[in-house]
Amino acid sequence: MPHRKIVDHLFRHQYGKMVAILSRIFGLTHLELIEDAIQDTFVKATLQWRNSMPDNPEAWLTQAAKNRVIDLLRRISVKHEHHQKVPHGTIALEISEFFLDHEVEDSQLRMILVAGHPVLSREEQIAFALKTISGFSMKEIAAALLLKEEAIKKRLARARKKMKDQQVKLAYPLPHEIEDRMAVVLQAIYLIFNEGFHSTKSGSLISKDMCGEALRLCKLLLTKERFRSGSLYALFALCCFHASRLETKIGTNNELVDLQYQDRARWYKPLIVLGNYAMQKSLEYTERSAYHHEAAIAAEHLKADCFKSTDWHRILELYQQLYELQPGDTILLSMASVHLQVGQLDRAKALLDQVEANHLSQRKYLLHGSYAEYYFRIGSIQPALSQIDQAIALSSNELEQAYLKKKRAQMVNA
Amino acid sequence: MKEFMMIFIGGTAYEELGLSPEQLQHRMEKWFTWDEKLKQQGILRGGEALHAKVKRVVGPNRIESDGPFVESKELIGGYITVAANSFEEVVKIAQDFPDYDIDGSVEIREVMKLDQYE
Repeated sequence: MPHRKIVDHLFRHQYGKMVAILSRIFGLTHLELIEDAIQDTFVKATLQWRNSMPDNPEAWLTQAAKNRVIDLLRRISVKHEHHQKVPHGTIALEISEFFLDHEVEDSQLRMILVAGHPVLSREEQIAFALKTISGFSMKEIAAALLLKEEAIKKRLARARKKMKDQQVKLAYPLPHEIEDRMAVVLQAIYLIFNEGFHSTKSGSLISKDMCGEALRLCKLLLTKERFRSGSLYALFALCCFHASRLETKIGTNNELVDLQYQDRARWYKPLIVLGNYAMQKSLEYTERSAYHHEAAIAAEHLKADCFKSTDWHRILELYQQLYELQPGDTILLSMASVHLQVGQLDRAKALLDQVEANHLSQRKYLLHGSYAEYYFRIGSIQPALSQIDQAIALSSNELEQAYLKKKRAQMVNA
Repeated sequence: MKEFMMIFIGGTAYEELGLSPEQLQHRMEKWFTWDEKLKQQGILRGGEALHAKVKRVVGPNRIESDGPFVESKELIGGYITVAANSFEEVVKIAQDFPDYDIDGSVEIREVMKLDQYE
């Protein structure tokens, strides 16, 4: 009896593929039905495959999902006779073309571009991409975005409705639209990566999967000449650089480990190499995006043999350029922490005072954490403790809280 | 060697849990691992998963009715038969049943064999 082993993430990746193929066949109007059908198929597989597994699990899943969609659509069209005809017979022959590898890839690319469609709000785009392209459940998305499941459900329903009302098609944008659309798509990928990288939910693998997903989407876009750009390469480099440190961010006791204390020997080299390659490619284009600067900053950290040898001045320079290109409160915050690092405390304070706390939303605790560090460094323990207490109260994540509490204890004992 | 049947009862239906593809795959892999282990030990005799739909035929008039008749937590989802020497051994085997966390349970029954009456 052969050992039954399924490829890692087969279901999740298959989910995105199947949504893309079936949406292309049956139309985006049936998206909800398609997603339900695919979900049914997975449930069926988990029960049926216990006894014997099909020779080609992917083909089994797609075929089963296709049958299920046709079945569901027939039921709908019986109810509403005016409903569009369900493809069958000779049309079914053409359908098989959609299952060829290059067509599957093409369908997925179309889906990614749909996720960046301007009718959707930014929040809807991200939720839509995570659910439809990456196969995360609403519960997982809610956990990663620190939101209630109900909120995600609403966002997705709203996104689907908008797409239906505005008759969004699974088509490539027109040539003059591509640039704008890609900018949105890249931003969505960037946010997916960031959510994964920063939301260190304890005992959950979702965050790591989200980072992997962002990398996968970049790679998929890079396969097509017309989607390649300096920004895309730079974003890919950025994701590779950060992802290389993912394993060292969480310690053996499931605690957050500061960049300062991460085991640099365990940073994942192949990703750094890949990131460097992508960085090179990104510089072959004339455009310079925020991703270029962020990737360069990440690269500076990776270059340093140890925390002490980090080139903080170069990093500050890069932050400065980034801020000129795209001013933002998180950048001010990052610059302030670099100043704290090199002991330029007054400058750090001046930057922190510029930060608009409300713009940081869920990451507001970081501002209080930085203030705490500042007051501690200048020797004002009381304000330092009061700031760190605020940071603890505002942090919604157990790992972050544990980390801040440890810092607080160190301040008290210092 | 005696034969025992492990009957799987209840457990929230996977459909209702809103599991993600990834979680479903993990769950299925747990079943594979268990199954694989039993096969390696050479004690697996048979087993199937069952659909939730139930049809019942009752009484001298053979009256038919459609189920399910019980709540899903009492519904039989499948079974496995294994060779073992005692209930205790099967209780040990049943430790690896993957669905306890979703309220599933395992009922162990000894299969009656003709040779016991020889």
